[in-house]
Amino acid sequence: MDDKRGRFEAEVLPHLNAAYRFARWLAHSPGDADDLVQEAILRAFRGFDALRGSDVKAWLLAIVRNCHSTALKQQQRRGFVPLPEEHDAQDGYAMIATTPDPESVSIRRDDERTLERLMSALPEEHREVLVLREIEDMDYREIATVTNVPIGTVMSRLARARAALKARWLKEAEGERRGVR
Amino acid sequence: MGCAESLRVQAYFDGEVDAVSAADIERHTEHCAECRALLQDLEQTRTAIRRDLTLGRAPPELRVRIMRALDQETAVKTPRPNGWGRSTWRTRAFWAGALGGVGSAAVAATLAFFLLSPSLTNPLLDDLVDAHVRSLMPSHLIDVVSTDQHTVKPWFAGHTDVSPVVADFAQQGYRLIGGRADYLDHQRSAVVVYQHGPHVINVFSWAASQRALPNNTTRNGYHMAFWKAGDLEYSAVSDTGWDELLGLVRLLQDLSARDARQ
Repeated sequence: MDDKRGRFEAEVLPHLNAAYRFARWLAHSPGDADDLVQEAILRAFRGFDALRGSDVKAWLLAIVRNCHSTALKQQQRRGFVPLPEEHDAQDGYAMIATTPDPESVSIRRDDERTLERLMSALPEEHREVLVLREIEDMDYREIATVTNVPIGTVMSRLARARAALKARWLKEAEGERRGVR
Repeated sequence: MGCAESLRVQAYFDGEVDAVSAADIERHTEHCAECRALLQDLEQTRTAIRRDLTLGRAPPELRVRIMRALDQETAVKTPRPNGWGRSTWRTRAFWAGALGGVGSAAVAATLAFFLLSPSLTNPLLDDLVDAHVRSLMPSHLIDVVSTDQHTVKPWFAGHTDVSPVVADFAQQGYRLIGGRADYLDHQRSAVVVYQHGPHVINVFSWAASQRALPNNTTRNGYHMAFWKAGDLEYSAVSDTGWDELLGLVRLLQDLSARDARQ
């Protein structure tokens, strides 16, 4: 194995799970997420020589995000209209739920479904900061690197995202009480 | 979130402030009910997300796909003939194999090993692993189903270019389950299929060439043993342990030696 490949596997591939989780929240289907991660890893490999500094995880997730935007733009150019994220929450849930591992199926509860659905239905710029902060446990500086915005913007987006999620959660609970849902 | 301090409170919650600011914010929340409620909300949201929304790990098949893609990426410098097409096909065959009914635990082990194995340069090794994996696809394992060497051996005569040693070693734990013709290294090869516990062992054989045989090796989690007997070259491939695999190799070598003396 040549040296670059070895270093890449040692330094970058430990973050494959993070890349995958992030891609699952960005892409519209598990299949898209797989393609997205593969594309990102290849791009990362090609650009690996240029990587300076130690924050490999943020660097890799930024590439995942870039690949995602590129794919979206291509789809739009081809006239493909992605699922509207705001309104079609049910699809958002279906996307997450198609390939759960057996364990998670058995322990899955209504609350989890609801939370997944609500997260999926958030606008992407809200969803991504929430995922990076709460699931990937990244600090503001790292999130700023991944999302390519200033730290101040990370803070305000995060605040709006958290408020939006809570508001939707409350609305959901209210709907359930009325028996609407 | 009308309080002007709410962003600072959030930063405090996220561990982004220094000790002095932290003390300052703690004092603020003692007086500000809104910010106390905010802290509670933040905590609840985090707890719920971290408890419920972990999508876990990249699936093994994605890892394999990525390693394959990286193999191709690194191999671009020295392409083999038809390298891309073959590799694509191979990946599919690999997956068809992995999804087949035979030994899914073994396949899982293979996937794990896959990540550790270095790139191959010897196409023969590639071909052997591919053929072994292909054989794990439903209904490709065996062309002639028989535990009787007297059925399997003549079958090869009509279907391959070689006539390997065949015997049932059920007593030693290697049950003969059949034979298959496969295409390997540009010639038709005979494959004798044994079952050892839950593991399938493919014993490939082909006409010996001038080229040196590879050393015994492990590729993609499959052990591969090589030996030469008479005018044939053999390779036994399996995900069983080395000891078990080499046990069968010794039995076959003994058999070849006995045949040669006759």
